[in-house]
Amino acid sequence: MCAKHEQREPEGAKMFTGLLLDEPTARSIGVTSANTVLGPVDARRLGVTLVSESLMYVLPGAQYAYDIKIDRAEVFDALAAKLAEFKAAGGGTIVDATGMFQGRDLRLYEALSRATGVHIVASTGQGPEAMLGGYYLTPQTNPPTPWPTQKFAELFGREVNEGMVVPRLERRAAAGMVATAVTESGMTPTDGSLVRGAARAGAAYGVPVAIRCGGDAHAELQLALDEEIGAQRVLIGDMDRHDAAAKGWPKLVAARGARVAIDHIGSTDPRYLSDAQRVALIVDLLDAGHADRIFLSSSATGVSFGVPGNGLPYSQVLTRFVPLLLDAGVTQAQIEQMLITNTAQLLSVNGGQA
Amino acid sequence: MTRVNTVLGTISAAELGFVAIHEHIGYGMPGCELDSRWWKKPEQRYEETVPKLRKFHENALPWGAATFVEATGICNGRDIDYYKSLSDKTGVHIIASTGFVGGDTALPFFERASVEYLTDQFVHEISVGIGDTGARAGIIKVGVSRGFKMKELDLRIYRAAARASRITGAPIFTHLAVDSEPALAIFAEEGLPCHRVLFGHADDGVSQGKVNEKAILDAGGRIGFDTFGYDLELPDPPFWGRRRQERLDHFLRFLNTGLVDRVLASADANCSPLGWPGVKGHTVNYLFERLLPDLREAGVEASTIDRIFVRNTAEFLTLQPIRP
Repeated sequence: MCAKHEQREPEGAKMFTGLLLDEPTARSIGVTSANTVLGPVDARRLGVTLVSESLMYVLPGAQYAYDIKIDRAEVFDALAAKLAEFKAAGGGTIVDATGMFQGRDLRLYEALSRATGVHIVASTGQGPEAMLGGYYLTPQTNPPTPWPTQKFAELFGREVNEGMVVPRLERRAAAGMVATAVTESGMTPTDGSLVRGAARAGAAYGVPVAIRCGGDAHAELQLALDEEIGAQRVLIGDMDRHDAAAKGWPKLVAARGARVAIDHIGSTDPRYLSDAQRVALIVDLLDAGHADRIFLSSSATGVSFGVPGNGLPYSQVLTRFVPLLLDAGVTQAQIEQMLITNTAQLLSVNGGQA
Repeated sequence: MTRVNTVLGTISAAELGFVAIHEHIGYGMPGCELDSRWWKKPEQRYEETVPKLRKFHENALPWGAATFVEATGICNGRDIDYYKSLSDKTGVHIIASTGFVGGDTALPFFERASVEYLTDQFVHEISVGIGDTGARAGIIKVGVSRGFKMKELDLRIYRAAARASRITGAPIFTHLAVDSEPALAIFAEEGLPCHRVLFGHADDGVSQGKVNEKAILDAGGRIGFDTFGYDLELPDPPFWGRRRQERLDHFLRFLNTGLVDRVLASADANCSPLGWPGVKGHTVNYLFERLLPDLREAGVEASTIDRIFVRNTAEFLTLQPIRP
C-alpha cells in the first residue's frame, strides 16, 4: 500500500481565520441568502425549516456491502413522497445535517428539490471520530498522526467557498452549514479538531455550525467559540437527550447565546425525552426568554442504509408536535419564530449581517 | 482443471503467465475521495496507468501473458469497472481483491460487522461478484493496522478471511508480516493451511526486526518480498523504503537456502495513486527493469525466476476449496 511523508500542520493558537483559509469567493457572500443545493435562496423564502434532518443516510461502508442495494429510483420516490408530505403540511425547507460522508448525494438532492419545490440545504462536515475514514485518522505518514484542526477547516471551508464535492468528480453548490458531532461518551482529540475545524470554517465563510453534543455540551460549545465564531452562529444538537436535559445543557447553551436544537421530535429512542418532556423543556426555555435560541427538528431518516431508519416523517413537527405546543400555551408567534425566523437567520450566510 | 478469477472472468491458471502478486492500479485511504487535492480527471488517470500496464504486458510476453494482482481492499478506492476497462484495453489480466488492507481501512459498517457477516461478504465477492460489476475477486486481502500490532478488528477480518478462503479456495495475502503469531493461531484454529497465505511486506524497511520469519515458515506460510523498488536510493523515498542491496540480499538468502518455493515477489507500486502523492518513478515494471537483472547478475537461473513468478504464483492463485 501506502504513501509519503506529510508534515503535520502546526496547530496555531489564536489565529485570524480569514488569513489562513482561502478568501471567501463572491458566491458565498449573500447578505440574506442561504446556501441551498440549487444555489443561494433569499432566507426569507425558506419558510418552515427543519434544521436537523437526514435525506439519504448511508452508514459509511454500507455502500460496499454485498447485500445492500441502493436503488436510486426507489430512493428518489421515497424521499419525494416524504418531502411532498412535508410541503403539504406547510413545510418549506429541509436541512440535511449529516455532513459530507454519510450518504450525502447532491445530484439526487438537487433533483428532489426541483421536483418537490422543497428547499434543501446540504451540509459539509464530518464526525464524530468513529464515522471518519482512515484518511483522517491513520494517514499514510510516519507516525500516522490524525488530522489537525486546520486541515479539517480547509476541507470543510472549501465545501462552502468552492462547493460541495461529488467525490473525485466535481463540486456542486455551496454547503449551507457545517455539521459535526462529538462522541457521546466523551470528546476524543480528533472530535476536538473536528469541532474547532468546523467552527473555523463557519467563521471564515459565514455558514452556521451544528455540533451534536457529546459528553459535555458546554465545553464543546466553548471549544467552538474559541475559534472566534459568534455564539449565535452555533447550533448545539441532541439537546433533547436525557443526559443533556438532566444536566441543564439547553439553558446553559442558550444563556451563552448559542442555538439549542430540540431535534428528536417524535423519536421513541429511549435515549431521548418523550414529546411531553420536550414540550416542557421548550416551555421552560421560552419562559427564560430564549425564544430566539430554540430550533425544532426530528432527525428523521428519509431513507437509510446500513442502519435502520427511524421511520419518522418530515411532517412530524408540524402535524404532531406543534399542536402539543399550542396545547401547552405556546403562542403561534413563538412557533413561527422557532420554525421560520430563527432558522432563516441561522441559515443566512453571515447571519444576515453584511 | 484450474480456475483463477480475473476481473474479466475466470481463466485457467495456465493462462496467467508472469504474475506480479501485489500491485495497485490506485490505492487511497478511505475518505480521501472527499479531498479534491488528489482528484484527477479520468483522462489523466488513464494516461498515467495505461502505458505502465502496456509496458508490463510487453515485458511479460516471453512468459506468454502478464497478470496484475490488484491488492486494493474494500473502501480503499477499489474500482472494478475501471480495472475491467484497463484489462480489456491492455491485455493484462487483473485479479481483484476482496477483504481489507487492515482494520483501520474498514469503514464503520464493516467495523461493526461480525465474523460471519465479513465471511459472507468475502465469499459473495469471490463466488458471485463484487457489487453489480459481475467481476469476482480472486484473492483476499487482510492486514495489520498501523502500529505493528494486531487490533481486534484486524483479527476479526483474518478469521473471516480464513473461513472464506476455505469455502471459496481463494488465497489470502496480508499487508504486513509483523505480529504474525495471532494470525497463525487463527489460521490453525480455522483449519486453513498456511501455504494459502502470503505474509506480505516482509521485506519493507520499517518491518525489519519485527517479522518472525521462522514462525511463518514453520507454519507453512509464504513470505512476501513484495515492496521491491521502494528503495532508499530514490530521491524522495517513502518511510517504508529500504536499501536496494539489503533487500536483494535478504531475498537471495531465501533463494540460496532452498526456500525458493516459500517466497513470492512484487513491487507494490501504484499506477496512479488515489489519496497520496505516490513514489515518482516506481512502477510494476521495476520487476523487469531492476529486479530480474539483479537476480540474473546474482546467478539466479531462469528456471528459478519462472518458479517464483509463474509456477508458484499460478499454484497460489488457483482456487482450491477445502471440503469440510
